[in-house]
Amino acid sequence: MSNTRLINFKLVICVLSGIALVYIIYPLFSIFIFVEPSNLLDSLIRPDVIDAFVLSIGTASISTLLIAIFGIPLAYCLSRYKFPGRSVAQVIIVIPLVLPPLASGALLLGVFNPQSFLDRLFPNIEFTQSIIGIIIAQTYVASPFMILASMAAFDSVDKSLENVARVLGKRHWEVFIKISIPLAKKGILVGIMMTWIRAIGELGATLMLAYNPHTISIQIYEDNAIGGLSQAIPGIILSILLSVVLIIVYSIIVKKSSGDTRKNNKIFSFGES
Amino acid sequence: MVIPEKTIKYLVLENHEGEINLTLEIVNVTKSFPGFTLGPINLKLQDNMIMVLIGPTGSGKSTLLNLIVGLTKPDKGSIYINDVDITNMPIESRRIGYFFQNPSLFPHSNVYENIVFGIRKGDRDNRKLQIKRLVESFGLSHLLDRNILGLSGGEMQKVSLARMLVTKPKIMLMDEPLVHLDTKTRVQLRKDLRRILKEEGVLGIYVTHFEDDVYALADTVSVLEKGIIKKSDTLKTMLTFPNNQSVSTSSISEFFQKDYNYLEGCVTESINGITTFKVGEHKFEILGDYPINSTVGVLIKPEDIILAVDFVHTSARNIIKTKVAAIDDANIKTGILNIHLVINNVSLVSRITQESKEHLKIIKGAYVYAIFKATAPHIVREEKSK
Repeated sequence: MSNTRLINFKLVICVLSGIALVYIIYPLFSIFIFVEPSNLLDSLIRPDVIDAFVLSIGTASISTLLIAIFGIPLAYCLSRYKFPGRSVAQVIIVIPLVLPPLASGALLLGVFNPQSFLDRLFPNIEFTQSIIGIIIAQTYVASPFMILASMAAFDSVDKSLENVARVLGKRHWEVFIKISIPLAKKGILVGIMMTWIRAIGELGATLMLAYNPHTISIQIYEDNAIGGLSQAIPGIILSILLSVVLIIVYSIIVKKSSGDTRKNNKIFSFGES
Repeated sequence: MVIPEKTIKYLVLENHEGEINLTLEIVNVTKSFPGFTLGPINLKLQDNMIMVLIGPTGSGKSTLLNLIVGLTKPDKGSIYINDVDITNMPIESRRIGYFFQNPSLFPHSNVYENIVFGIRKGDRDNRKLQIKRLVESFGLSHLLDRNILGLSGGEMQKVSLARMLVTKPKIMLMDEPLVHLDTKTRVQLRKDLRRILKEEGVLGIYVTHFEDDVYALADTVSVLEKGIIKKSDTLKTMLTFPNNQSVSTSSISEFFQKDYNYLEGCVTESINGITTFKVGEHKFEILGDYPINSTVGVLIKPEDIILAVDFVHTSARNIIKTKVAAIDDANIKTGILNIHLVINNVSLVSRITQESKEHLKIIKGAYVYAIFKATAPHIVREEKSK
């Protein structure tokens, strides 16, 4: 009786899991229906698509760097310092994650439109329809990933280790660089990775702020709108190839990071030996 | 950054090795938390004294250490090292060692890197010898390349201690550092600890709730209770007539509830597994071999001291004529009482029954022989004399 129940249970779980997996993987294969093998290579190296791809990788990298420079200190600050409004700040940083990207883009357009205060302050800088616009959109939308991941990473660092370092004669800066950052490194790396991935995939906010020059997402969107799915194939294939690389790198980082966490736990829970 | 003048004064003082007259003074320090106030604390410690701080959980022992090292700022009062006010000095400038309950080793570095963490890269070569000597005295030489994850609890604490001592602090605060270790490791590390602290000439404050730690480490003992130092004195004074202490109802009696006899003296002879040591004029014999001229400290249970009115020939190797200084009231349930004995500078407590006391007609001021076997003393301290 109980055996039958177990089998039933497993059956239901397996069927549901199977459907979920197929649902995720099926579109990846079905896209090749639209590919004509004879001119695959030709279509893959379409110059405008390559440009868009390179632009996406470049802007996403710059955005990630910018987010790291400002976001990691913010994460440290939110993790370490107690100040009035800290819990409010911890909610505020999630806003770009929760807002629909198009809404984020609209908000940014409000700040950076050609009639805006900032645009008048810096008349020589084109904030919209430019690479700068793309970066603004990406940094805004992708920042929560870096901040949240780094904050969790700093939270998990044993503060007594930082205190020990100070007792051993290290100044705040040295403690930050030699203890806090290395111990939070894995979490920060995951944050960097997620931020970059989010920036590459950005469409909504970019659509509002900088339709031109085309990022890979906008290229795919436009190709499909003009010439249908088969025209969008080159961009899609490139994106899929990039994802494969990213998935491998990401899983390596996560694997390393979880391994280290286990080790850390062992250190702090050692008993009689 | 401009270093305040007093900081320089302190650091320069520290460099006169060997000839330092070190004073740590805590003046009227208070610190309040919701529901708890520490202080006002007044303490003065000098040179290479080791003070053991005891007290119940929540009495503020760790807070006091945190205040001295700078992890916490006092609400009021000042802390001085050699008359330099360090109350507002940053932690890293104080050069006070802090040995935590947990080894708190850096998991991303190996044993060697952990040990030399506090030494600047440029200085590591110059101080190779000092590092080597310290590593050897802890028996860590074979572990230097090891990842700290594979170390035992005792090894981790040794690495942690070496890491602290390598920075040559002149003051060392220790917060129950041996609490997580098994008994055997604890006993060994405790011995090493006192030896090394004395060798390095370090002023130490050691927080504990282990009675054995007090005997093995303390020069002076302070009792902290509900945020106030209730009693502070030398170990010997603390141990003499513990039942007559003014704080007998508080943790001090609780702590020394076994009211052992404590004798400390200099070894004069050691033959055939029997060692003789001298306390003032009096000689005592214990089992074991200890180097001549070394200092030993032993505990003797009051139950192990037999009283005799007349001199008797027995197999017991310790027979000493003493005067009855005081007789406690007998315990109502057990009928057992303590007889306090004194001769010259030696004090002993013997625990006998009410019946025996009456039978022998022991009264205050009478002379009796205190007798105990060489096996009765339990050795808790062993030090080479200078």
